Amino acid sequence: MGFFTPWFLAGAVAVGLPIWLHLLKRHKTDPKLFPSLMFFEFRETSSVKHRRLDHILLFVLRTLMILLLALLFASPFIRRSAAASDGKKLTVVAIDRSFSMRDGDRLDRAKNQAMQVLGSLRPGDQAQVIALAGQVQALTQVTTDAAALRAAVVAVQPGDSRASFGELARYLRTLSEAQKMPIEVHLASDLQNSAKPPGFADLRLAPGTTLVFHAVGGAAKNWTVENVVAPRRVFDPKRVKIQAIVAGFGTPAAKRTVTLVLNGRELQNKSVDVPENGRVPVEFLGLDAPYGFSKGEVRIDAADSLPVDDRYYFSTERADPRKVLFIDDGRRPRAETYFRTALDSSGDGGFQLESLRPDVAATANLTGYAFVVLNDLSSVPQNLESSLQHYVNAGGSALVVLGPGSAVLPRVPVLDEAIQASSYAGREGGLFLTVTDSDSGHPALRSVDRFNGVKFYQAIHVGAAKSRVLAKLNDGTPLVLERAIGEGKVLVFTSTFDNVLNDLPIHASWVPFVAQSALYLGGGGAEQPLNVAVDSYVELRTGDGKGAAAEVLGPDGKRMLSLEESTKARNFALDREGFFEIKTAAGRRSLVAVHADRRESDMAPIPAETLDLWKGTGSDPTPGGGGAGATGGADQPWGLWPYILLLLLGVAVAESVVADGFLRPSAPQREELKREAA
Amino acid sequence: MLQRFLDPTVLAGISGLDLVARTVVDGFVAGLHRSPDFGFSQEFAEYRAYTPGDDLRHVDWNVFARTERAYLKRYRGETNCQLTILLDCSRSMKYSSHRIDKLEYARYLTASMAYLAKMQRDAAGLIVFDDEVRNFIPPSTRQGQLARLLHAIEKAEVGTRTNYEKPFSHVREFLHRRGLIAVISDFWEAPENVVNTIAPLRFHGNEVVLFHVLDPDEIRPKFRDPALLEDLESGATLEVSPEYAAKEYPAKIDAHLEDIRSRARGAGLDYFLIDTSRPLDAALREYLAIRKGRM
Repeated sequence: MGFFTPWFLAGAVAVGLPIWLHLLKRHKTDPKLFPSLMFFEFRETSSVKHRRLDHILLFVLRTLMILLLALLFASPFIRRSAAASDGKKLTVVAIDRSFSMRDGDRLDRAKNQAMQVLGSLRPGDQAQVIALAGQVQALTQVTTDAAALRAAVVAVQPGDSRASFGELARYLRTLSEAQKMPIEVHLASDLQNSAKPPGFADLRLAPGTTLVFHAVGGAAKNWTVENVVAPRRVFDPKRVKIQAIVAGFGTPAAKRTVTLVLNGRELQNKSVDVPENGRVPVEFLGLDAPYGFSKGEVRIDAADSLPVDDRYYFSTERADPRKVLFIDDGRRPRAETYFRTALDSSGDGGFQLESLRPDVAATANLTGYAFVVLNDLSSVPQNLESSLQHYVNAGGSALVVLGPGSAVLPRVPVLDEAIQASSYAGREGGLFLTVTDSDSGHPALRSVDRFNGVKFYQAIHVGAAKSRVLAKLNDGTPLVLERAIGEGKVLVFTSTFDNVLNDLPIHASWVPFVAQSALYLGGGGAEQPLNVAVDSYVELRTGDGKGAAAEVLGPDGKRMLSLEESTKARNFALDREGFFEIKTAAGRRSLVAVHADRRESDMAPIPAETLDLWKGTGSDPTPGGGGAGATGGADQPWGLWPYILLLLLGVAVAESVVADGFLRPSAPQREELKREAA
Repeated sequence: MLQRFLDPTVLAGISGLDLVARTVVDGFVAGLHRSPDFGFSQEFAEYRAYTPGDDLRHVDWNVFARTERAYLKRYRGETNCQLTILLDCSRSMKYSSHRIDKLEYARYLTASMAYLAKMQRDAAGLIVFDDEVRNFIPPSTRQGQLARLLHAIEKAEVGTRTNYEKPFSHVREFLHRRGLIAVISDFWEAPENVVNTIAPLRFHGNEVVLFHVLDPDEIRPKFRDPALLEDLESGATLEVSPEYAAKEYPAKIDAHLEDIRSRARGAGLDYFLIDTSRPLDAALREYLAIRKGRM
């Protein structure tokens, strides 16, 4: 017998608690008032008699309860011979159906090996067939039905997932715990090195588990398109860059032709020299995509045994740039220049700046703009402010920039916070202010690097009664504030954009700040990615999207969701390569390109010594135990906690019953209590 | 029906000592009593031979005419008796093991006796004491005396510890006219001290009755478990075992009660032990019995 966590036995010292309660505590009860002690005498014997245990049965039960509790936490176990189960063993046949098994005839060979193992079973032997991919799939229950086991092996189809031997080991440990008998595992796989978990400890097997490898492949030359970076949206086809990486695993130096394909049409070809066992980047300029979603693909002429990784899918959407309204009274022309330049240089933001005077903007229809910028306005016409409020309430966004002009206003337009004062960098406190607090997790400030090195000479101090401060200067003045109003949001920057009150526009953080803010306000920041790996999940609905139907069309054009799933499912697992058309419950449509994990393309096998070590983790660690799985006689720890828990529950119930009998106040005591209560 | 209202637990539910006293007495007493002293009312008692010094106004001249001897005519008159109640309000009187404590019980008894005295047109007075005289209402038959007494009884609160020496020496100074003195106390004191202190009151011709008020728990304490007892007056604490309380204590308290009873009787004091769980009528009956003896 042993203990998994013996240090919990120290909890047994808590047995002193009932001893104290029963032996000592009662002796120190509150004194009872009595008119006169004339006829009472102090007796030594009386005092000694107090020192005996009261309520022996209750004391015993309480002590037992504490001891059992300590024992329960210490998790005792006894070693039981696994062979005690009549010398039986469980045979598990694991077939690797990961992406790399598409190479040549690897999967067929694996299935043949599995059939041979099943053929060697005696009638009545228990066995199970499992398939290994991203997760372990039990294709049968533990059964003695040979026909069912064979049918399961035949039904195994190649997948696009990445194999994980860590998952396999975890499944086998769970199975061993549940079956309480030796397990013999036959793994038919190409034993890729990339399927190993990061830590070897994750591969450990339960004692009594024997692992038999059936290698069905080895290292093979393989070229692949390892990665493709394509913009999510294309606004200007001429400025689009598609970057790809072509890699070779175990390959000699070779020349490869890389082709960019869009909607089945070859757009560009490039010839690249792939170094020996190395990678090379490829860049395509321009993507003549039609409006809407397009199915893209970068492929190579690999001529190797695994052609499915010679192409890499990507999805992109062609859209018009969205308009941004910049309302400016002309006093700070440089602000518009800096803002426009930053917006244009932010890559695929897809925003087009349109500048208007406040009186003209007051009559404009704001609903067509992605967001509105108010640049340090000294006066905001009443109708402009009301139309801005309507616009924001209906889901629009505004970026309000404050400066000396707007300092004369009593309140910040739209945000509705009081403008209190101007904060200046004084000579006594330092020649400039810097940002000390910044919420770098906020989408608008994520890549801004906390405005590092930016000097602020003046900022407008704004109250933050209703708003959230995202960044703050070192004198406490809020620099960036945010407030959600209705369905929309307002961002406020309390210094100018014109390189006068600060030098932000000439710092590296300027462009990311403008780009991130524009994406955040323009609604481009929270969408799902369009290019993902196999076994990723897409979100179909948030918590409140109940009722509306979601829809998923697979690469073959078939619906992937049942009617019930389409109204209830929150997520959908993308389990194969290809293009999936997704329509979420909120009505947003997208085309998601799914590609296999390219670690599968590296087919270098696990070194033999590592495999031996892995096998060894299932042996009996005790001396003389020998090959546990081989002999089937390994001792396994058998936890006793369920029995102790039951016993503890019984003792607890008994304690409650006994305590109720002992400690219930007597009739006179009840009378006294009633009288005291009265 | 009226007897029910003598039960102390029932009386505890009645607000106002006035009503308590009326309830008790109306249910108990019928009629007045006769004065122990010969007076000058209309009811004839006896003749006595004249001795020099007697008031000539009381000589029956008709008898003198017939017999030529001078006799004094004596009458049995409804004269006033003076009742003085000494109420102990030491801290030990606050003890209770049931609904009413000893002081409350003593209050009922005092109020009932005062009311009874008023009905008999006796002069009733009150002295509240612990280790000092806390309140003194001189005996009187004046209008409103009962109200004054009841107010003083109501106001009597537990004080400190009992000390008979000091208050009783004062009492002896206050009492100039002989009458009936009722001492209501739990007498947690050595019997010789109690009797030696109170007995001098008897020397002035007073009738003294000791009402020994005790809680049933004081006579037969019930402890299931060992207990730490704290003296209500001295604050001293003592561990007490249930065995001691069940065996040795009853013997000691019985001896104490017997001692105090015999010493009181020896000194010519009437003694009556009252259990606060018992109705008030027994105590009143004792009072009236003593009162009758004085007739």
